[in-house]
Amino acid sequence: MSERRHRFWHDVVKYRTLLLMLAPAVLLFFLFSYIPMSGIVIAFKRFDYVGGVFGSPWVGLDNFKFFFESGDAWRVTRNTVLYNLGFIILGNLLPMITAILLFEVGGKWFRKLTQSMLFLPYFISWVVVGSIAYNFFSYEVGTINGLLTWIGMDPIDIYNTPAYWPVILLVVNTWKTLGYGTVMYLAAITSIDKEMYEAAEMDGANVFQRILHVTVPNLYPTLIILVLLAIGNIFQGDFGMFYNMIGNNGLLFSSTDVIDTFVFRLLIGSNEIGMSAAAGVYQSVLGFVTILLANYAVRKYDKERALF
Amino acid sequence: MIKRSKRQLGLAVTSMLAATMVLSACGQANKAADNSPAANNTAASNSTNTGEKGNTAADTSTEVKLKMVLLGAKPADYDQVFAEINKNLKEKINATVEAEFLAWSDWSQKYPLKFAANEDFDIIYTSNWAQYTDQATKGGFLELTDDLLSQYAPQTWAAMPKVKWDQARINDKIYMIPSNKANEFTDKLVLIRDDLREKYGLEPVNSPETYAAYLKAVAKNEKGITPYGLESAETNNHNLDKQLLVQKNNWKEFAGIPFTVKTDDAKAQVFNMYETPEFDQLLTYYKDLADNGGWSRNALTSKSSTTDDFKAGKLASMSHNVTALGGVMADALKAHPDWKLALADLSPDSKKSAAISTQNGMAIHATSKKAERALMALDLFQNDKQLHDLVMYGIAGTNYTPEGDDKFSKTDKFANYNSFSNWSWTSTLDRVDTNYPQAAQEIEKQWAGKVFNYELESFVFDKTKVVNEVANVGNVMTRYLAPLEYGLIKDLDKGKADLIKQMKAAGSDKIQAELQSQIDAFLAK
Amino acid sequence: MSAAVVKHSKDRILLSVIGYTLLAILAFLCVVPFLLILSSSLTDENTIRMEGYKLFPTVFSTEAYKLLFEYPEAMIRAYGVTLMVTIIGTAVGLFLTAMSAYVLCRKDFKWRNQFTFYFFFTTLFSGGLVPWYLLITNYLQWKDTLTVLIVPSLMSVFYMIVMRTFMAGIPEAITESAKIDGAGDFRIFMQLIIPLSKPALATIGLFTALRYWNDWYMALLFISKEDLEPLQYYLYKMLGNMEGLRTAMLGSGAGVSIDIPGESLKMAMTVVACGPILFAYPFIQKYFVQGLTVGAVKG
Repeated sequence: MSERRHRFWHDVVKYRTLLLMLAPAVLLFFLFSYIPMSGIVIAFKRFDYVGGVFGSPWVGLDNFKFFFESGDAWRVTRNTVLYNLGFIILGNLLPMITAILLFEVGGKWFRKLTQSMLFLPYFISWVVVGSIAYNFFSYEVGTINGLLTWIGMDPIDIYNTPAYWPVILLVVNTWKTLGYGTVMYLAAITSIDKEMYEAAEMDGANVFQRILHVTVPNLYPTLIILVLLAIGNIFQGDFGMFYNMIGNNGLLFSSTDVIDTFVFRLLIGSNEIGMSAAAGVYQSVLGFVTILLANYAVRKYDKERALF
Repeated sequence: MIKRSKRQLGLAVTSMLAATMVLSACGQANKAADNSPAANNTAASNSTNTGEKGNTAADTSTEVKLKMVLLGAKPADYDQVFAEINKNLKEKINATVEAEFLAWSDWSQKYPLKFAANEDFDIIYTSNWAQYTDQATKGGFLELTDDLLSQYAPQTWAAMPKVKWDQARINDKIYMIPSNKANEFTDKLVLIRDDLREKYGLEPVNSPETYAAYLKAVAKNEKGITPYGLESAETNNHNLDKQLLVQKNNWKEFAGIPFTVKTDDAKAQVFNMYETPEFDQLLTYYKDLADNGGWSRNALTSKSSTTDDFKAGKLASMSHNVTALGGVMADALKAHPDWKLALADLSPDSKKSAAISTQNGMAIHATSKKAERALMALDLFQNDKQLHDLVMYGIAGTNYTPEGDDKFSKTDKFANYNSFSNWSWTSTLDRVDTNYPQAAQEIEKQWAGKVFNYELESFVFDKTKVVNEVANVGNVMTRYLAPLEYGLIKDLDKGKADLIKQMKAAGSDKIQAELQSQIDAFLAK
Repeated sequence: MSAAVVKHSKDRILLSVIGYTLLAILAFLCVVPFLLILSSSLTDENTIRMEGYKLFPTVFSTEAYKLLFEYPEAMIRAYGVTLMVTIIGTAVGLFLTAMSAYVLCRKDFKWRNQFTFYFFFTTLFSGGLVPWYLLITNYLQWKDTLTVLIVPSLMSVFYMIVMRTFMAGIPEAITESAKIDGAGDFRIFMQLIIPLSKPALATIGLFTALRYWNDWYMALLFISKEDLEPLQYYLYKMLGNMEGLRTAMLGSGAGVSIDIPGESLKMAMTVVACGPILFAYPFIQKYFVQGLTVGAVKG
């Protein structure tokens, strides 16, 4: 025992500079994340002001009931995960391709301009995106139906047809995050050692082979980390997006309701913070389990690429 | 791996535990602070018991500064108007007020946090749509006992009808001073473009049938105008249900749940209004309108403001209460003098209900140490003519022009003061805007004679025991009822069967039983 | 870099065709909505209501911008607060992020996984708003300070881990030789790692800056003094108050109604909020568009 303790202090001394360098971050997260984290207990309490966070009465799992008794728990959980999977796949694939193309083709001027343009959607809030979408998709006055009737086709009722929405949301999300992701992959590409390209060139590889065998493998670490980071939050729906795109259109819920919008709608009347905390705990625990599994899988394949 | 993650988890859990300890210390500090309301409470009632000098017992020898939390934007003329208010208040009760404004964009998030952090404030705006029940049950508001009210807010205590106090009761306790506006109704009606009606030679609108004829005529002949616009997209049933189902049949409305009682039913039998023949009939009425373009097919998603759309001429009709529509009418006529507008009551023979008092009100923070003076100030805001004019309209001559004792007209600077929730002080001393349309005033006058007072008028449904069921049934209504009523589901019978089935599955029976037992208990008293 | 080895062979031409086409389509899709916004912000409100958004203003109006700049001093102050918070926050945050990321990417650091987990865990579980609010208002007493706008958002686990990944790409040989020369960990970080991580620093720096620039939530919760309101919150509040006024007043039966160019205002706000960033963007852009190669620094 004392042997181990001795080892420990020995290590502390050995890594003192690194530990000191890490100290500000450790403290910041302790203060702003771990201290408030104890508030998770609210999920198991009926919160009132007299008792505060810790003095309010315990109610066991009562706060979870509203969610599981709704009969919709499975549906919204499934929707959340499926949407996020879609976002993860498209949201990494397209920026990666875009970044590679940006890097490979075009002059400086074209590259800069395109890249700035791709960033524009990032600045448009979901509220505004929602309004623009309505202008596009509305049955009576929408641009899409305007085009359809102009070429002699029947107008389509997008806002009353659940089947269109997974595609629309997938496209809109990818569109909005494209610039952001592209910058990330561009940074990764620019960090690739030039000598590796030259070596490939010497071996007589054509441009496509070079991209496939040099560029892409060098992007794997970034890709894996981004995917892992996203998987931890795979049970969290982007409320701003779903709420502003769908609103309270009950007809679309079968294909567009995610945990966050569902919980919001159910609790808007009662304002019960214990219940929203319970929903949060549900999402966190599932996310935690998923990320442990995913990380384990990555570790098995390559220890260095894992998250932890 | 397992061992590893255990250790990693260990680090995280240890930090969490340490964190918990820090916060529980906080929790205790909180508790100490939270003990004071009780102490304060007894102090207040003590002074009530000992001070037997009648209504002017309060000790105002020390000056106090009252902190008020209001909703809305800080008025541009805050400094000027509040200086005037404070001069007046200082003279009368040796107090001054200072207001903090929670912006419309974020009040709902900040509001509960102010209580949770036990911030220092004395008076706060509240309403049945602004977390009244919620904060009261969590212990955020000071209970306003009869003693407290009669002693420190004597004018309000005397002026407010009993039914208004009763509507503000939660588990028999009052936590707010409701606004006391005269002639305010919950009933709704529709605003229409009478010039369009005349253009197509239609009968005056005064029933569901004449209204449908009007909507259909507009849909058919006026390209670019949508006949009916929703009051708000945040809804779980058709906006017109209130008029065509509840008001028409003289039922009592319980917000957010599908149940109702007939107001003239002595036994007060609770029933689901979506399982009645009246609803079946209404459903075909709606479907017919929807199929004939009565409203946008995307009504449930529409993003733009109905009021603005109506004023811009994009809508031919909207529904709301008489005060709101009166305001829209005045504005629209100013912008389009060539229009003719009419307010139409779709069930003119029905009885009318007075507004629910908890629509607007002021509460005292549970931990306020200046509760007595706060009540005195609120008493004056509602009942002292001079202060009432100030808090309601701003400075005479600057923000408004007084006309006689009971009328006013807006000046250019009216909005420089009127940007926040000052309606919580509305009372019988209110002035009427000279621009407020005659038509609206007439309706108010007519309705005043038809107000129905019934036993259940002050009954408020306590949802605590069925909160999950209410949430789930509400969700079912959003998913199955609203699309059905807006004509988006082809097969009405199947749609209705689905709706009923889903409501049952979500626990509607339990709500019904709970509501019935509460009503029975209420009537037995 | 790649430009140096350009040969106009078939594969290059094919790649260019695919590349230009795809990029042009994507850029088009990203620009059009923004043009809609720009045009709508300059269109008369009633015209938008009747006709919807158009690529070119049919009835020109600067009403929305006039309203936005009704109180120019307030707007300038809000820009000032945002600028200050963004600059300080990004500088400090980026430094701390890079420093921590470096420690976490050091393969010889025994507890790197444990610490990574310590940080990552916070992205999964959160105690919710109430305890956090209590901590900041009651215990730290940071309400209405610039500190609250800066310190809690200094670091993000996401950026830290992405940075760690970038840094892991730096060949170990470089640091090894410095170590042999007797350089300490901190000196290696400052003198070798930072210059070698420029693309990563530019990227994460940009993201951190954008986060500060776009943040209105901290201000929503903790700022009630008008002179500490950052731009995004100022705009958010302005729009919220106007829309809230409309609905709340209608609902309460106050019967007060004012004409607000709601639709065009929303659009004008988007333009005003991202304008400065768009101007500044090309200056930082060079770091990740051209980038720099490890080889270049090494040599």
